[in-house]
Amino acid sequence: MSEALQTTLIEDEETPQSALPPVHLDQFEGPLDVLLHLIRSQKLDIFDIPMAMITRQYLEILDARKESDDGLDLEIAGDYLVMSSTLIQLKSRMLLPRPEVDDEGNEIDPRAELAAQLIAYEQYRMLAEQLNEQPLMRRDVFTRSLFPEIEDVERPLPKADLDALLLAFRNILKRVGGEVRHHIFSETMSVREQMGVVLERLGGSGGMQLDELLRDTPGCEALVTTVLAILELWRQQSISVVQHENYGAVTLLLKQAAS
Amino acid sequence: MMTPESALQSSIEAIVLASDEPVSQQKLRELLGKEIDSADIRAALAELETVYRGRGINFIQVAGGWQFRTAPEHADLVRRLWQVKAPRLSRSALETLAIIAYRQPTTRAEIEALRGVKVSSQMIATLQERGWIKVLGRKEVPGRPHLYGTGKAFMIDFGLNSLQDLPDSAQLMDEDEIQQLVSGPFDTPTASGHLDFKQETLTQDDDRQSDIGNME
Repeated sequence: MSEALQTTLIEDEETPQSALPPVHLDQFEGPLDVLLHLIRSQKLDIFDIPMAMITRQYLEILDARKESDDGLDLEIAGDYLVMSSTLIQLKSRMLLPRPEVDDEGNEIDPRAELAAQLIAYEQYRMLAEQLNEQPLMRRDVFTRSLFPEIEDVERPLPKADLDALLLAFRNILKRVGGEVRHHIFSETMSVREQMGVVLERLGGSGGMQLDELLRDTPGCEALVTTVLAILELWRQQSISVVQHENYGAVTLLLKQAAS
Repeated sequence: MMTPESALQSSIEAIVLASDEPVSQQKLRELLGKEIDSADIRAALAELETVYRGRGINFIQVAGGWQFRTAPEHADLVRRLWQVKAPRLSRSALETLAIIAYRQPTTRAEIEALRGVKVSSQMIATLQERGWIKVLGRKEVPGRPHLYGTGKAFMIDFGLNSLQDLPDSAQLMDEDEIQQLVSGPFDTPTASGHLDFKQETLTQDDDRQSDIGNME
């Protein structure tokens, strides 16, 4: 048996380098995938792998990757390098004159373990392909769903364009007649109400500093309302507003009191 | 006048269409009322399955329940409607998933041994996120690694009613059979069933070869 193996090996060495189409590591899912490709594409017997030839071809693929621009990615290199040492070890074990035997005295082919690994992997590789042929949800078949997965739909955002933004804004201005109206305050009951409050407070004291009047007015809206109320009262001639100097204190007086 | 049979079918259609997930027979019975015989429900389901065969929507049994889904031949149309591209599954994801599906419960180390490459945590996380795989427990060996199996979403998304429906599961050989196979031919090259399998893998590979050829 060992002689037979030796002859096979010698034959291997003489086998002309078959012109393999160039392959790239990226196409493979690991060393087993590469080996299966080499074995199957050359119609070799998985139970009788010509180790020297396969190892040489395997290393060539690895070398091609190393010489390429990307180099051999360290993340994946480990798996491939372990396999190359396994291959070389198998080859050396086969060169040993004494055949290995199991407990029952049967010869063990050093390649049996690798063949088993390859067959097991090939099965799953095939099953993975078949799994991929199943009608897959959201690829081949769809269901009516109350909540369609909107986030799965790719809706790319348009490119930002400042000119387009300005143009859009100009169009809006044109539509509103070039005039942007800010409707801040419409006359509401609250101004009228506040007018009453101001008159009441002025009436009690006969006159009041503006600061004093606004001091205990809570909140921005109330403040604005109060000022509006004062202005309205002034316009109606219900009160008079006196300021003796620039930036000086403003005094509010009831008209009756002033007259 | 509606016959009781068609009335029952009509009710089932409404429930199944309005449901977000496959509706089990048990759930149907709960909703329809206990006085409805489960044999009648079974008959109605079988009838509906036949009625919708060959239509644009199919009434099929997945993950132990019933669901309406569009027929696979209209995939392109629906994708155009939704403006989505067909999602592509990577080979590494498919191989990992296949090993988990056919060998569950299995560990990451076993997957790596079978594939001969490392399985990234990212890959496991992605499959878990989709609900295709889940942790079933821990293996009582040093390190107590997680044991993975397939989840319900796997059954639904791959249109399987049970794990028995996995393609070709009967053909799968276990370790012992493979061991027998590899040690066999060296001593006794007999014409057994194993040799048949060998032939089969060889022919199957011819197809694959052409695939690889196309890639280049």
